[in-house]
Amino acid sequence: MTSEPRGAVKGKPQRDLEEDVDELVHLYGLEDDDELGDEFVNVNTPRIEISEYSPYMMARREAAMEQRDWRCSGEAAEAEDLSFGGWGSEGQCQDLREAYRYTHGRASEEYECYVIPEEEDEEEAADVFCVTCKTPIRALEKVLDEHKEHEVIPLSKALESAKDEIHKNMYKLETQIIEMENFASHLEEVFITVEENFGRQEQNFEYHYNEILETLAQKYESKIQALVEKKKERLEALYGQLVSCGENLDTCKELMETVEEICHEEKVDFIKDAMAMADRLRQFLETKTDVEISAQPALEDQNLDFSDVEQLLGSINTIPAPSAPVINPQAPNSATGSSVRVCWSLYSDDTVESYQLSCRPVQEGSRGKDQAEFTMTVKETYCSVTNLVPNTQYEFWVTAQNRAGVSPASECAVYMTAPSPPVIKTKEVRSCEEAALICWESGNLNPVDSYTVELTQAETPGASGVTESVVGIPTCASLVQLQPRQSYTIYVRALNVGGPSARSEPATVHTTGSYFRLNEQTCHPWLTVSEDGLTAVRSERRTPAGEPPPSNTHFTRCVAVMGDLIPVRGRHYWEVEVDEHLDYTVGVAFEDVPKQEELGANCLSWCMRHTWAKPRHKYEFLHNKMTPDIRITVSPKKIGILLDYENSKLSFFNVDISQHLYTFSCQLHQFVHPCFSLEKPGCLKIHNGISMPKHVTFY
Amino acid sequence: MALKQISSNKCFGGLQKVFEHDSVELNCKMKFAIYLPPKAETEKCPALYWLSGLSCTEQNFITKSGYHQAASEHGLVVIAADTSPRGCNIKGEDENWDFGTGAGFYVDATENPWRTNYRMYSYVTEELPQLINANFPVDPQRMSISGHSMGGHGALICALKNPGKYKSVSAFAPICNPVLCPWGKKAFSGYLGTDQSKWKAYDATYLVKAYPGSQLDILIDQGKDDNFLSDGQLLPENFIAACTEKKIPVVFRLQEGYDHSYYFIATFITDHIRHHAKYLNA
Repeated sequence: MTSEPRGAVKGKPQRDLEEDVDELVHLYGLEDDDELGDEFVNVNTPRIEISEYSPYMMARREAAMEQRDWRCSGEAAEAEDLSFGGWGSEGQCQDLREAYRYTHGRASEEYECYVIPEEEDEEEAADVFCVTCKTPIRALEKVLDEHKEHEVIPLSKALESAKDEIHKNMYKLETQIIEMENFASHLEEVFITVEENFGRQEQNFEYHYNEILETLAQKYESKIQALVEKKKERLEALYGQLVSCGENLDTCKELMETVEEICHEEKVDFIKDAMAMADRLRQFLETKTDVEISAQPALEDQNLDFSDVEQLLGSINTIPAPSAPVINPQAPNSATGSSVRVCWSLYSDDTVESYQLSCRPVQEGSRGKDQAEFTMTVKETYCSVTNLVPNTQYEFWVTAQNRAGVSPASECAVYMTAPSPPVIKTKEVRSCEEAALICWESGNLNPVDSYTVELTQAETPGASGVTESVVGIPTCASLVQLQPRQSYTIYVRALNVGGPSARSEPATVHTTGSYFRLNEQTCHPWLTVSEDGLTAVRSERRTPAGEPPPSNTHFTRCVAVMGDLIPVRGRHYWEVEVDEHLDYTVGVAFEDVPKQEELGANCLSWCMRHTWAKPRHKYEFLHNKMTPDIRITVSPKKIGILLDYENSKLSFFNVDISQHLYTFSCQLHQFVHPCFSLEKPGCLKIHNGISMPKHVTFY
Repeated sequence: MALKQISSNKCFGGLQKVFEHDSVELNCKMKFAIYLPPKAETEKCPALYWLSGLSCTEQNFITKSGYHQAASEHGLVVIAADTSPRGCNIKGEDENWDFGTGAGFYVDATENPWRTNYRMYSYVTEELPQLINANFPVDPQRMSISGHSMGGHGALICALKNPGKYKSVSAFAPICNPVLCPWGKKAFSGYLGTDQSKWKAYDATYLVKAYPGSQLDILIDQGKDDNFLSDGQLLPENFIAACTEKKIPVVFRLQEGYDHSYYFIATFITDHIRHHAKYLNA
């Protein structure tokens, strides 16, 4: 319905553009000032009053028919600067008026100046354009006196600039139309709002006046009833009195008659009767005759109490107490670990001075009174509640209040604080060239929804690396794909419905080579692992006190320890620093390799064993208790180990002289871990996180 | 030094060729085989020289060892030389399979009548490489050497006598200490005379003891069921002991169940090609 004015503008063909603009201006009461004067005299005050919305109403319904009528009212309003007082600024009004004048004026000017002369071409072909006169002329005329001093340009150029001008103006006009449309829709909104506001006010009045009338009716009823009852009571009393009065009168008359009769009797009888009569008379006279009127005819002073009505009347113009606000459900990602942002809304016709927000932590089972409950007063329809416990649910409800009173409480809404940041187990971070395995502790007692891993590549110092995120991780570990030979800073966040936690402390990962630490849980009791997790030491002093009991996790026979290699297929390379005279075994084994067996003594491990029986060094490459017969003339001080899942190979190298020692072909149906064993006191030092040497790439 | 192509066969993308030429050192017509990998079409490749064992020609290795695929993949030019001068009409040259024709032992003979033609050491270390460098797309700076049995001995002494000349060396069942084995004694006394001190100059075990210590990685494969091993012709233990003492890097693999044949070579040739490629392509 409200789109009609716009529709009309759009619908009409181009030739009517000017008219349209006119109409548009009419529609919004924006007429030229000169017309205003004529109409102004007709304006009267009541009209101004209705002008705030009446033109709009009519425009919606019968735009064309009522055009004139409301136009003048619009003008009147404009004239008195009232028109937009309620729903638009004066400046805006002024702008529109000028805009109209501009488009209107220019458009007609263009038609007159440029279009019409073209049609006149038939008469005499004009070939130049006189800028001064703004008219095309023939070149010949230039020499004539009229245009002699004038500036002339070629007609084609003039035509072009004129066309440009037209296009520009058309563009402006289009812009204008769009603006107008926007303005119309804005007005529409204002209209609806005004309508609604007044509607509500009407309802409010109706409600209140009905209330007063009802109160008055009730009062009337009760007063009348009281009056009737009183009347009945009094009349009854009077009647009773009247009856008893009559009875007394009868008794008196009878006594009179009796006395008279006695007077006519014999003396003896008289005396006898007179004595009796005298007693009777005395008795009668002693009974006091009630001659007081029990009920007064006059009405008591009726005091009518209208104070409550007055109060009701008074309340019509004051605001009602607000209704219960509506508390919003928690917005996603709006919480922090210690705060939530609670939002609610009021009914738009309520006037609220402040809100009381109450809060109580939700606890399973016992929703007792012992739960700390606290309340805060806020002016806004939101509140950031701070100092809360992370990853915890809180129940919130809110009341609104103003001078008239306090609203009922809203529904309860449960909000949740974001979790505490997780704690990355930096000692368990392992990596290779393509990936890193990050493990962390939740940092929260209650479960969280998921975790996010954020990684920033520190490609060059100073360069602000882009942060990538891996989201929706359900567990406390994630294998993150990375680029080779880079450095990354890694953070973890925990998430729940309230939002993400703060970042964890960072962990740094270098994707150069494979990086792992020795896993102390697999460590034979006689071995100790250094703080950095890269050195295994079998102490001289320790005198073995028998073999430890069998275990599934740590080695019990061979004095060995496993490294935690990242479970990624591909190539892994590490080096072990050894003493030439140390008996050691290095290699790989499946995680479930029997821990009470020697390394290489089964199908689940592959390793190189060195034993030194002076003067000979013996090197064995053991798998399933078997070794090839291999003699090595130079004892390695550093052994390189290449684990190649893709080619199912495990190779050993003498690092210092780039010598290939041996390559196993092994079926690696699951992930293996590096393992290290010391058959004699001494130590093994692991070097990892290093690039693979080139000579190794041949195997 | 005109080269005459005897044959050319495409193999693993490259070409296995055989040439004949007039050898200055040996004073006779000699054949050699050369494999040109596909990479040699566009660039100079490193060269691996193969020295065959007793009674062999350039044919044995190229027809039996199956080295082509590995050489093709690693881009190695492989040259297989003959084992002695041919057709020199020296009296008695064809009487023994372990002396004379097919048994040059890679020494420069000093005794008559062998001294004119039997200069195999100079041939394989000087003349042949120059010929190859001049006629084929090889990088003179990158060469290695390998061989089998007597050729293994040849490979070891060539490398040990010329520190730095070869990037790497490997051998299959080499005669490691010819001075002490029947084959060696027979050959050396025939070619070098009775002065055993001269023999040591062509004995790998002795050469190791005097080796100045340039980086050299030696790979040796030896079949455990090799009759010549048990006959005491090869004596690898002596060589290993010497290398251990002198800290010359050797990986010696005693391969269970293998004998002295080309089946054994074919089994492990890929490892050897890779061993050389590691140094030649480093």
